[in-house]
Amino acid sequence: MTLEKLEKMAQRERERQEKFERRVFCCISTACLSAGAGRTINALQEAVDACQCKENDVEVVQTGCMGLCSRGPLVRVEDKSGEPIIYADVDIDVSQQIIAKHVPMGKLKDESVSEDVQEIREKLKKARRRKGLEQRILDTNAPFFAKQEKIVLQNVGHVDPEKLEDYLAHGGYSALGHVLQNMTPEEICDEILRSGLRGRGGAGFPTGMKWNFVRKEESSTKYVVVNGDEGDPGAYMDRTMMEDNPHQVLEGMIIAAYAVGASYGYFYIRGEYPIAVDRIRRAIRTARRNGILGKNVLGTDFNFNAAVRIGAGAFVCGEETALIHSVEGKRGMPRMRPPYPSTSGLWGKPTLINNVETMANIPPIINGGADWYSRIGTEKSKGTKVFALAGQLTNTGLIEVPMGITLREIIYDIGNDVPGDAEFKAAQTGGPSGGCIPAEHLDTPVDYENLNKLGSIMGSGGLVIIDSTTSMPEFAHFFMDFCVDESCGKCVPCRVGTVQIRTLLEKIIDGRGEPEDLNKLEALCHIVKATSLCGLGQSAPNPVLSTLRFFREEYQTLISSQEPT
Amino acid sequence: MITLTIDEKKIEAPPGTHVLQVALANGIEIPHLCYHPELSVSGGCRLCIVEVEGYPEPVPSCGLACTDGLVITTHGERLHELRKNVLDLLISDHPLDCLICEKAGDCLLQQYAYEYGIKETTYTPTISSTLYQDDNPFFIRDHQYCILCGLCVRICDEIVGVHAIDFAKRGFESNIATPYDGPMIESTCVFCGNCVQVCPTAALMPVSRKNKGREWELDRKTTICGYCGVGCQLEYALKEGEIVYAQASPDGPVNGELLCTKGRYGWDFAHSPERLTRPLIRRDLAYELGLSSEAWEQPDTSPLAVKQPKIEDDFIAVDWETALDLVASRLAATVSEHGPDSVMGLSSARCTNEENYLFQKFIRVGIGTNNVDHCARL
Repeated sequence: MTLEKLEKMAQRERERQEKFERRVFCCISTACLSAGAGRTINALQEAVDACQCKENDVEVVQTGCMGLCSRGPLVRVEDKSGEPIIYADVDIDVSQQIIAKHVPMGKLKDESVSEDVQEIREKLKKARRRKGLEQRILDTNAPFFAKQEKIVLQNVGHVDPEKLEDYLAHGGYSALGHVLQNMTPEEICDEILRSGLRGRGGAGFPTGMKWNFVRKEESSTKYVVVNGDEGDPGAYMDRTMMEDNPHQVLEGMIIAAYAVGASYGYFYIRGEYPIAVDRIRRAIRTARRNGILGKNVLGTDFNFNAAVRIGAGAFVCGEETALIHSVEGKRGMPRMRPPYPSTSGLWGKPTLINNVETMANIPPIINGGADWYSRIGTEKSKGTKVFALAGQLTNTGLIEVPMGITLREIIYDIGNDVPGDAEFKAAQTGGPSGGCIPAEHLDTPVDYENLNKLGSIMGSGGLVIIDSTTSMPEFAHFFMDFCVDESCGKCVPCRVGTVQIRTLLEKIIDGRGEPEDLNKLEALCHIVKATSLCGLGQSAPNPVLSTLRFFREEYQTLISSQEPT
Repeated sequence: MITLTIDEKKIEAPPGTHVLQVALANGIEIPHLCYHPELSVSGGCRLCIVEVEGYPEPVPSCGLACTDGLVITTHGERLHELRKNVLDLLISDHPLDCLICEKAGDCLLQQYAYEYGIKETTYTPTISSTLYQDDNPFFIRDHQYCILCGLCVRICDEIVGVHAIDFAKRGFESNIATPYDGPMIESTCVFCGNCVQVCPTAALMPVSRKNKGREWELDRKTTICGYCGVGCQLEYALKEGEIVYAQASPDGPVNGELLCTKGRYGWDFAHSPERLTRPLIRRDLAYELGLSSEAWEQPDTSPLAVKQPKIEDDFIAVDWETALDLVASRLAATVSEHGPDSVMGLSSARCTNEENYLFQKFIRVGIGTNNVDHCARL
């Protein structure tokens, strides 16, 4: 299929959507689904059917994450006659209230409709009189929404993730069409380099530079891998992007493949994300059917195909060399670098590995241009970052904020403070590889360099808020336990060292700690950091080190309180 | 050639080599447990770390490619401290029973613990696995001694090409296992025992070695394997003249450190009472030639016979000269009586090429017939 035909498809879909008086969007991302969105969307559709309203009056659309996951299932009503309204905690009853409020009930065309429909019509009539719907309305001017800047998630929550036409109607694949027609691979790499985009997997390596490395390799076979093995506890940015706008990730991947000269690509998705796997696979299938993947992409002489590989539950497979082994069908163990995957990756061929969020950033950068993108963010960290807000906050969910925003803004404005009587204690970024940032550093702008200075890392985007009821040694113990469990066992410091760190932590927490144990713990952490083979081991002691740095007195209290009196 | 500096010494290295490889070749010792020159690089033991000028953290030298102008320091206070701590961690997961361990004296972990002055672990001793597997007649897998260097896995996969074992489970629970942890005999293992030879600790040990003394009690005898014509160099470890175990002689020009199952485990015939150690002549022939005064009687071969015939009943031992004289004279008589074509020669694949060459020369020129063949053609 050519670009013109895709544009026609997009146009048709836009016209179809514009015909509707109102559209009701229901989030079917994992967070909302687990809160019952499956029942909600069915109830919405049943209610709409029972209304028997005019053609083109209302459409129920399944869509992706609207952000405030703690209040799911979320439903947004876009009425031509007014501002969009987002409803929270929508169960079956509330969904009937919503339809009763927004959709005019039509006359029954046929009296012999089933009893079920009759019953729902009765319920809708009652729902119209019921009060309390206003309490479910979310204030879209509240800081949670107003402080965000959506680039990557721009279309998430607006498009139907299972419909290519919807993505096209939102300008999808126009970036791909543009680069295939107007840009050389070199120009694309330079554009990405100029945009200042850095790897969103956590380490923050300049993406354009990585692309150039792979592009300059001389090899008849090259691969592109999208790393969707998101494993940090509490983090689900990549899952959301794969579930809610799979075509945007796919588009980024195809552009990357064209830029580096790859003809085959893999999505590596963790096995715990069945919905993401399903939607990415569906996206690949539809893209292939419509000539966006396969031979002669969009009628050009560029060939590219992609497939999904499912992880088997190992955290370490998010590390690129372990990921390569896993895709190759081997045990997911990292190997030493260099050679880097850009020189010798999958089956020894040059391989570009980018995180899901990095790939999702590509279409907006191509569409908006490097100059526009590089104006967002700080001097060294450009663009936006998606965070999964979790832990002790009033508002938890998925947010996208410009780089350079302070943690205070994220926690107090977007997150709306710690609930209850407890007080904010620390924010943890970077999952088990990251560190805890205490209240006195809340005004630090969030970017790669500043978080590193605080002994933490940007990480993939997990942001866990801890309140005053949490014991920091126990918090560190949780993450050390995670690392012990997830260490692959290849190198000694990570395999044995993490177990010994955990043993020391347990000794302290159980009240058997001795004064010298803290120094011993700290020394061991530094040894594990310095001598481990891969990123997992090198960063595994971070939660311990950062809690020792900022909350040492908690450890000391545990030790001194047990001394014989 | 690439020029790099290791410990202030300028060293030339061919392209594509790694620092550890070059250092060892130049007599610079860097401790290592998971590196083997014939195998791919693992980088798991973290002992061969070195300081590289311009690098913030030490890097393992086994996987560090030699590049021009590289400046390496192999020993120093920080490296010593880090290595000592890594060894300390290894020892925390290793029983300290060197006093009763057969591998004592030949164990690399023991050697490095000695070099770095580690008497015991400063951490909490925690043994990850106490699994003991003696499911085959050749070697024992005692997991408590395993340091997971992976040499056995790599030699089995990369050199033997069998890949019978690999890492199983994860992290501290990792161990080396057959598929689904089935018995060794049901795996693809060919029992060549090369894994046993590369094992730096007592995790893999020949069954025959159990309770047969420690390294320093054993004598070493280098010989050539008699099983086939390849001529692998073997080293028998002997205690009081009896073989305890066999291994490839590390500097064998033909086989390097490798052996097959026959050479490594098939030596029990050496101490068999049934082993032929002197030439034997049939008793009837000996009586005929006057070598024996006793006439030979046809033994009762009936299954109902009470006494099993013994080899001494039918043969008498003679010296080599007598035996060879007898063979030569009988062969010569046959040739002169019936002509050279009445003789044929059949040689063995277990002989070397040189021996086989001489044999066919002897049959063709000495006897004068082309009736010569080789067992490998049968």
